[in-house]
Amino acid sequence: MELSWEIILMQVIMGLALGAIYVLLASGLSIIFGLLDVLNFAHGTFYMLGAYAMFTAISLCGNFWVGLVAAVVIVSLIGGLFEITLLKRLYGTDQIYPLLLCFGLGIFIPDIIKMAFGLIGKVVDYPAMLQGATFVGNLILPKYRIFLVVLMALVLLALYVFMKKTSIGMIIRAATRDRLMVNCLGINVSRVWTVGFMLGIGLAALAGAVAAPMVQTIPNMGDEMTVEAFVVVVIGGLGSLGGAALGGLILGQVVSFVSLLAPDWSNVSIFLTMALILVLRPRGLFGEEGRD
Amino acid sequence: MLLQTKGICKHFGGLKAVDQVDFSIEQGKLKSIIGPNGAGKTTFFNLVSGLYKPTHGQVTFQGKDVSHASMNERSQLGITKTYQITSIFPRLSVFENVRLAAQSRVSMFNSWRKAYSYSAINNRTMEILEHVGLADQQGRTASELSHGEKRYLEIGIALATEPTILLLDEPTAGMSPAETVEATHLIRKLSNELKLTIILIEHDISVVMGISDEVMVLHEGKKLAEDTPEKISANETVQNVYLGKGAEPCSR
Amino acid sequence: MSAKQKTQETTSYKPYSWQAILEFRAMWVVLALGLVLPFVISKPLATEIMVYALFALAFNLLLGHTGIISFGHAGYLGAGAYAGAMVVYYGGVGVWVSLLAAMAGGTLVAVLIGLLAVKRKGAYFAMISLAIAQMLYFLALSPFKRWTDGEDSLKLPPLSVDFPFHIDLSDQLSLYYFVFVIVALAVLAQWRILSSPFGHALKGIRENEDRIRACGFDITRIKFLSIIYSGLFSGLAGGLLAIYLGAASITILFWMTSGIVVMQTVLGGTHTFMGPFIGTAVFLYLRNNISNYTDRWEMWVGAMFMALILLFPEGIWGTIVQKIGERRRPSAS
Repeated sequence: MELSWEIILMQVIMGLALGAIYVLLASGLSIIFGLLDVLNFAHGTFYMLGAYAMFTAISLCGNFWVGLVAAVVIVSLIGGLFEITLLKRLYGTDQIYPLLLCFGLGIFIPDIIKMAFGLIGKVVDYPAMLQGATFVGNLILPKYRIFLVVLMALVLLALYVFMKKTSIGMIIRAATRDRLMVNCLGINVSRVWTVGFMLGIGLAALAGAVAAPMVQTIPNMGDEMTVEAFVVVVIGGLGSLGGAALGGLILGQVVSFVSLLAPDWSNVSIFLTMALILVLRPRGLFGEEGRD
Repeated sequence: MLLQTKGICKHFGGLKAVDQVDFSIEQGKLKSIIGPNGAGKTTFFNLVSGLYKPTHGQVTFQGKDVSHASMNERSQLGITKTYQITSIFPRLSVFENVRLAAQSRVSMFNSWRKAYSYSAINNRTMEILEHVGLADQQGRTASELSHGEKRYLEIGIALATEPTILLLDEPTAGMSPAETVEATHLIRKLSNELKLTIILIEHDISVVMGISDEVMVLHEGKKLAEDTPEKISANETVQNVYLGKGAEPCSR
Repeated sequence: MSAKQKTQETTSYKPYSWQAILEFRAMWVVLALGLVLPFVISKPLATEIMVYALFALAFNLLLGHTGIISFGHAGYLGAGAYAGAMVVYYGGVGVWVSLLAAMAGGTLVAVLIGLLAVKRKGAYFAMISLAIAQMLYFLALSPFKRWTDGEDSLKLPPLSVDFPFHIDLSDQLSLYYFVFVIVALAVLAQWRILSSPFGHALKGIRENEDRIRACGFDITRIKFLSIIYSGLFSGLAGGLLAIYLGAASITILFWMTSGIVVMQTVLGGTHTFMGPFIGTAVFLYLRNNISNYTDRWEMWVGAMFMALILLFPEGIWGTIVQKIGERRRPSAS
């Protein structure tokens, strides 16, 4: 195959769009881990729920944007409910127990979805205004992919502002660094945890909702994504938003180009990238010393 | 000198937790480090035990530079510390808590011989349990012990690693006055009978004054004074920053 | 306090705790039950229980005894199964060599995961081990399809053993006892390892990693060796699994395998020796029976597992041991 610069640029854009999904997903995982010390093994499940909520909302109201907002809100609420009723009981126990609870949830929910929606994939359409492509010179720019990249940038910016400027964001940041201390400040930490968890779940749902038009919406679509989100945060360094962003973008490019050049290796390349980065930087790109 | 630090510093970002401290201790002595909260006592200990590596300066032990040796390497050389917040093996028996520490001198990787077949280690374990008064508790699960007993177990674990020098980090923390008196007797006994070299961090000055050969006072990371207990009590600077304030309410 | 009234003679020591004695007896009871198992439940199910019980015990070397959360055990089991099957398929070697190759395969993956992750704790180890195992899954699925047959299983011919005497492994009962004897020996070997100075050091790491390091233990190397043992025994289980299934199949490598062994282990009790064995037996027996009544096995298992974590985190055997301990306590003091 001849690699013209148009193909290369096209592949970069595809990679950016895929990377955007990874970034949204992994930043949610990273926030939850940083704040709660919980490795959310059901993260991909919430991603899948995001896609199904999107499908349901659109079939009810017919509007992509309303569906998007509804999907994120509904799935965040499900996440909040899970945190308040079940997960909360396990804080302060060995790290393994919250992890296993999430793992159990990740087995439980897809089966419910199978029961409700069947095994056959659901189709979510692109919104009318984002169908097709625009041309710059003889370069084809698919609108929806461009939208994803813009969306990711906006979400990252919003997260940055939220963490730096709002009081609850600052509490979340402080709690990520030192949970005990925030407890001593007389803040109702319990509510901060719930908000943080819902924020992380909301990001997973958003990733699933915007991915829905591009991928097949099936009950097990989240399984792989959990593992891939793990890879992103291992590459970037757990608990670091910048790390999640950089890790996601790197992984998007790797997958995009390997799929083009050696399709057999595209899945393997994700993990090889991780292994390579671990050899070079054992704590990930933005990992801090002393934080395991 | 058995152990010596020269101009040792530990900075955390802008905070100079330990700043240019020179310290030395001779074989067989008991030396205490006192100072108000946040004076850098525990940080200093961690520099000696190897948990932290110094920002500047040097730690020498038996004439060798050990500044960059890791914690387990220093433990193998004979520098052992106890923890301010009790750090034991909660689900294991009292016997096993101490035996495991004693085992560290003999075998780590042998995967076939039975751990309890090393009679020298077992005997040594019982000797130590006798020393710290826990021999009749040997079969209990460590987590069931009372707070005071856990503090003794903590010391027992440290003794089992056959330390040349023992670093005791507030061994009486959280003890009642009666327990504190008993613990003081034990420390004295370790020093006198086992001829151990001991560095002791204490908050409770009364504990320190009775049993130390010398006392070093830390304040805001710096060495303020170093002398015999009597002279330290009489030292005006020390009185101003530390003793003068009277007994501070205990923070833990 | 007795320190004051210093006794002349040293009190005699009783090193074995009641838990250790109880576990030792439980091990022999379970192995004895194993002798009659194929007459109580179906022979294939009994064989499957033995293979996965060995796998769960090997897994628990890390989770329960060292305190390492591994989610990559599908990689060890799968490497064992494929290594064992491939030397038979391509090399035409016998069953014993196949099992040795399986152990080597499991060990090799353990070395790989160990090198990348041994210094990482908790969640980090879980993620890295899971990712490496997934990499093996995808490697076997497509780039190495030529050797692994990808989604089609690598099928084995009917096998038999000729040394020390002839065993026809296509006979279900002979296969069961062949597997049972190997599993029993492996269980005894693991008991022995856990009773050694090394095994005790593992428990120290699980209980208090900082303290055990301060005692002078080289925890990185100890953990690495623990990962290797876990890989070795998991690889052996993988080799037996390939013989039992008559094939090495790609689903063994899928990450769900890692999840199932975690569930089986926690169901029985991670902080015990025989818990994983018991958990595996219960899990597989239930799966066999529940799937007769419902297609929604995953939903049930997910819900029951969450309930287990919330209500009985010590698992079946672990809870029993705990209750016995509570009853003993008043008399002990």
